[in-house]
Amino acid sequence: MGGIIILNGSPRAPRSNSKGYAQLFARYSALPTSYFEITGSNHPQLCAGLEDCKHVLLVFPLYADGIPVTLLNFLKSLEQSSLKNRPVISALINCGFLEPHQCDVAADMIRLFCAQNGYPAGSILKIGSGEAILESPFRFLAAGSVKKLARSIAREEYGAFQTTMPLSKGMFLSASTKYWLSLGRKNGVTQQQMQSMEIEP
Amino acid sequence: MKLILTDCPLDSCLSLPGDVTWMDLSALQIRNCVGCFGCWTKTPGRCVIRDDAVKVYPLIAQSDKLLYVSRVKYGGYDTIMKTMLERAIPVQQAFLRILDGETHHVQRAVAPKQATILAYGPTSPEEQALFRRLVDRNARNMSFESWRVVFCPEEQVDARVKEEVDAWAES
Repeated sequence: MGGIIILNGSPRAPRSNSKGYAQLFARYSALPTSYFEITGSNHPQLCAGLEDCKHVLLVFPLYADGIPVTLLNFLKSLEQSSLKNRPVISALINCGFLEPHQCDVAADMIRLFCAQNGYPAGSILKIGSGEAILESPFRFLAAGSVKKLARSIAREEYGAFQTTMPLSKGMFLSASTKYWLSLGRKNGVTQQQMQSMEIEP
Repeated sequence: MKLILTDCPLDSCLSLPGDVTWMDLSALQIRNCVGCFGCWTKTPGRCVIRDDAVKVYPLIAQSDKLLYVSRVKYGGYDTIMKTMLERAIPVQQAFLRILDGETHHVQRAVAPKQATILAYGPTSPEEQALFRRLVDRNARNMSFESWRVVFCPEEQVDARVKEEVDAWAES
């Protein structure tokens, strides 16, 4: 009792940015942490594990403007579980867009889940440019925000935090284009091919 | 093209006008997006998971009148509809643009849409407000030229779908 269970709700959890954020959080947390990845088949074990913890941190990417199905399905299982404990639920949400406020709806979905199911809502951290910031010179900004999140949970002084790359939108678009082109090149796909307007060609 | 996507079978969709296409997602095999970005960087415009979703997202892209019918969960779409929407990202490019002062993905050949979302199930005013905010965000990423959310109890879904289809026919 007293530790933090970190649940990675990314559909590609083992190789996700969310895993990187979870590792940062574990490094900065004054409380002991345990890390798990949500899959389609481990909901009962994860729910049972929450019986003995004081805090849960959900780490996930923004998907279609909301919480990813991987996490949605887990929350539905948690709602149906017979858990007696009600740990405080916090969230770290990352999106590929520059603006962290694009995560606001997903944050409020977590808060609504908490309100509907009697879980105390903890802190929220929204990270814009979350797809790339950890590999950029601005990693320190993400790390600083994760540190704030960890401190707020340990001290039970909950709040909402956000960060992003301090770039103009134009510069961010340019950096983002270079990033995606480099991924395409690794697969032998050209810019022209990536810019195809065809769907299911 | 007029498209109806539902997360349940509906009697009202069994006899539709010829220009309306209906897909009952609950009858299809659609796996979760795995976040591989293959549809952006390996096979642009084409999902690497070759299940029923690949029949649906081209229809989403082509439609200019769209009706989504979904149960609401935690202020968002419930699993069936959300799974399909997550699998629809091949209609976008990896590249970003600025839209309404925010960064968003460039769309491929996606028709601008008049979208109606029929959202059902027990919902509080707070949950309805959150769902509307979600659809407002979807509008920027899913080419909704205009959008409208209609909330109704589950038992009224069939009747409300019929009303929406009738309104399409009259417009």
